[in-house]
Amino acid sequence: MAELTVVGKPVQRVDAEEKITGQAVYGYDLVLPNMLYGKTLFSTKAHAKIKRINTDKAKQLPGVVAVVTGEAVPWTHGESVKDKPFLAQGKVRFIGEPVAAVAAEDEDIAQAAVKLIEVDYEDLPVYTDPEEACKPGCIEIHEGFAKYRKAEFVVQGAMPNVAEHFKLRTGNVEQGFQESDLVLEERYFVPIIQHAAMEPHSAHAQFDKESGRLTIWVANDAPFRALHEITEALGMPKEKIRFINPLQGGGFGSKGGLKVEPIAVALAFHTNGRPVRVKFNREETFISTLTRHEAVVYSKSGVKKDGTLMAREMTIYWGAGAYAEKSPTVCIRGSLPAPGPYRIPHVKVDGYAVYTNKPVAGSYRGYGIPQGAWAGEQQMDEIAKRLGMDPVDIRMKNIFVEGDTSYWGEQLHAVGLKETLVKATEAIDWGKKPSNVRPGVKIGKGFACIQKPTRSPTTSAAGVVVNAKGEVTVLAGTVEIGQGCNTILSQVAAEELKVPMEKVHMHQLDTDVIPFDASTTSSRSTYHMGNAVRRASIHAREQIMEAASPMLEAGVKDLDYADGKVFLKDQPQQALPIGEVVRRKLGINGEVRGDGSYTYEIGKDLDIETGHSDHASAFYMYATQAAEVAVDEDSGRVRVLRMSAAHDVGKAINPLNCVAQIEGGVVMGIGSALHEEMVIDKSGKVRNPSFLDYHLATSLDIPELISIVVECAEPEGPYGAKGLGEPGLAPTPAAIGNAVADATGVRVYDLPLKPENVYWAIQNKKKKTAA
Amino acid sequence: MNKKIQFTLNGKSVSREAATHRLLLDLLRDEIGATGTKEGCGTGDCGACTVFLNGQPVNSCLVLSGELDGADVVTIEGLKIGPELHPIQKTFLQDGGAQCGYCTPGMLMMSKALLDENPNPTEDDIRYALSGNLCRCTGYAKIIQAVQDAAAILRAKSA
Repeated sequence: MAELTVVGKPVQRVDAEEKITGQAVYGYDLVLPNMLYGKTLFSTKAHAKIKRINTDKAKQLPGVVAVVTGEAVPWTHGESVKDKPFLAQGKVRFIGEPVAAVAAEDEDIAQAAVKLIEVDYEDLPVYTDPEEACKPGCIEIHEGFAKYRKAEFVVQGAMPNVAEHFKLRTGNVEQGFQESDLVLEERYFVPIIQHAAMEPHSAHAQFDKESGRLTIWVANDAPFRALHEITEALGMPKEKIRFINPLQGGGFGSKGGLKVEPIAVALAFHTNGRPVRVKFNREETFISTLTRHEAVVYSKSGVKKDGTLMAREMTIYWGAGAYAEKSPTVCIRGSLPAPGPYRIPHVKVDGYAVYTNKPVAGSYRGYGIPQGAWAGEQQMDEIAKRLGMDPVDIRMKNIFVEGDTSYWGEQLHAVGLKETLVKATEAIDWGKKPSNVRPGVKIGKGFACIQKPTRSPTTSAAGVVVNAKGEVTVLAGTVEIGQGCNTILSQVAAEELKVPMEKVHMHQLDTDVIPFDASTTSSRSTYHMGNAVRRASIHAREQIMEAASPMLEAGVKDLDYADGKVFLKDQPQQALPIGEVVRRKLGINGEVRGDGSYTYEIGKDLDIETGHSDHASAFYMYATQAAEVAVDEDSGRVRVLRMSAAHDVGKAINPLNCVAQIEGGVVMGIGSALHEEMVIDKSGKVRNPSFLDYHLATSLDIPELISIVVECAEPEGPYGAKGLGEPGLAPTPAAIGNAVADATGVRVYDLPLKPENVYWAIQNKKKKTAA
Repeated sequence: MNKKIQFTLNGKSVSREAATHRLLLDLLRDEIGATGTKEGCGTGDCGACTVFLNGQPVNSCLVLSGELDGADVVTIEGLKIGPELHPIQKTFLQDGGAQCGYCTPGMLMMSKALLDENPNPTEDDIRYALSGNLCRCTGYAKIIQAVQDAAAILRAKSA
């Protein structure tokens, strides 16, 4: 390969300037001409029949243009299970479910009208615990589940309220436990948390009766999937629906699928062609959009005296909330690698996605990996402790290395895990016993390893346009959610066309003109869209060389390409800039467009009975993070002193951006480890739907961060790249949990590691020791 | 109740009729069209809507339009010094202080407030000053770095 000129370099973000001057326009900022203001009435009951809705008073309020309820919009949607109505129909399943909506001349009128809508409910039993909601005798939250349209891979459970049952079967775990010298079994718990992207959710919609076109402006991280879902729900032809993506103020998984969109669409059909904006405020965003799955994880491990893992059995109850959303795939892709990145001969996993009467759980950065790691990685340390082994040594004995066959039957390649383990632990001086700072404060160290698959199979397509001025425009459906894709993809185009970064521009995301992309999720974009943009750029370059051939009076094979110019191999001074080639061939307004697409073809779908696949993921991301913590035993307060994070990214297309992703992920992970928790009471009500009561990590909470980029090239990836967005927070809580156990000698099984949880764990141990 | 108010926004006089209960944040974003100031919570918990009101950093979601008559308001759109980026904007660019960018305007305004008051802040000073400005993307390290670098530039200028 020729030397890389832009790829691999610490290039500054291409979108930073508009962001630091306040010029960037986000979805939440958008004000459309003649726009109406939408407000939503949310369910105040977690599980109830709707006996009556009266909208008369609301409709009569001056300034109100439309009031809609589920009756007016008899449609349902959902990625794998079509279970969610646009607005509640006949019953409500969580507090925060949209029941009715109003469009009015201003926000105050809309809000006043919402308050005038009367709803009579008849209460039904409320289930807030996923482990309880699937016990025999529970009533079905979705009584019509069997009749819903669903994706082929969805396997309904035999118990009540189970939307998905994932099974992994390898070897014989009973035999494995019998052959083990030590068997450990524990229950772990991960609570509901929220993405809390700084930009709350909103959507704008307009329906033009004359053309029959529906336009939706929304910061959605998978506009093509949203388009597909709306198309399916409404039975409208795809060409009639258009998604335009303004800039997105963070997502972390929360902004895919449909949340505010159905409300805006429902209203848009009743506003005589006027656009309507529906904004959720922060509290509405907390209760009505998406959360991360709570998970109850039972983990049982069998191991030989020398530390060889023999068997692992895991049962995971994923709390889906009131609608399936992405629960089936979170259950599948979170449960599959939950036993950890280790060679284990006997493995049994049962994952259940269970409906509850809580806000809907969906995709969240990490897609099920943090929950499995919280259990599996802490149990690894417990095993090491019982065997008197160093936690590093037990992992080194069992860890996946190049060429290993995983317990789901896939031969692994590009495995940089060992290097991440060595580097992350070295970075915090593993093995050096830290000295305690003062009486009552204990210092400890811990780490955790993860492996994360990506959504497969998927497709990304891209266009790359070169104009007569030599400017390059990239048409890519990857959404800039803050992760830096516009910079990465510009680098790829600049690399292949050998032009300076300033010459490359990203086209706004508009489904009318941008080629298809599966989604900006699952850390898939650099790999998939990176490949697509690379191919499209090469395609454009080839056409330009073709066109230049008669101009330079030479065959294409006698031409070369560098610095944005085509030239004769043996006479490099005979050169034509690419813009000049385009102009001569097509005129001053001419454009050459290259197209490229990339599809990862899966080997075999996961087998429904065994969970096996010879190629379950386009690539795997590996990481190890290590923490040093201080625990105040008198208060239970945990402080992270320093945190190293070593991530195998395949190839760092932009090292600055890699560090940015790692640091952001780690701090999000620290929040989820130490204080984040959506507190939901037995009635299904969220008790802390504000940033005052829901504690995000602040500038005061961050430790010394040590980011380490490991490059174990993935041959199929662009320049060897894999992905990075999600793993940043995946091992963090388990690493901190292990450090807390190292410091105090006490294991805490339930997240978050808030002072009272840690304090009582310490006190209980003291009591036991005294007795 | 509507009230006629006149105030200065980024050096220019603005006069308009506004509902007294209208939040400064909404006035800026929905009525004046200055959407650089961001709404993250509407309850004074996240700092995304930080602006200067009579020289002091405030959450514009906690200020009512009725209080604005005669006030001097500076928003992110007024942070540049003439055509030049303010040093804190330059260092946010250079150090990678912005990712999704939604908290960035508030972060920049609060950073400027700190630097106006304390040209030589320690890392702890910066952490405390920005502790009311939430960011979900960056993990804060690069933001703290950017404020340190901006402080150095400003000190060099005034030396």
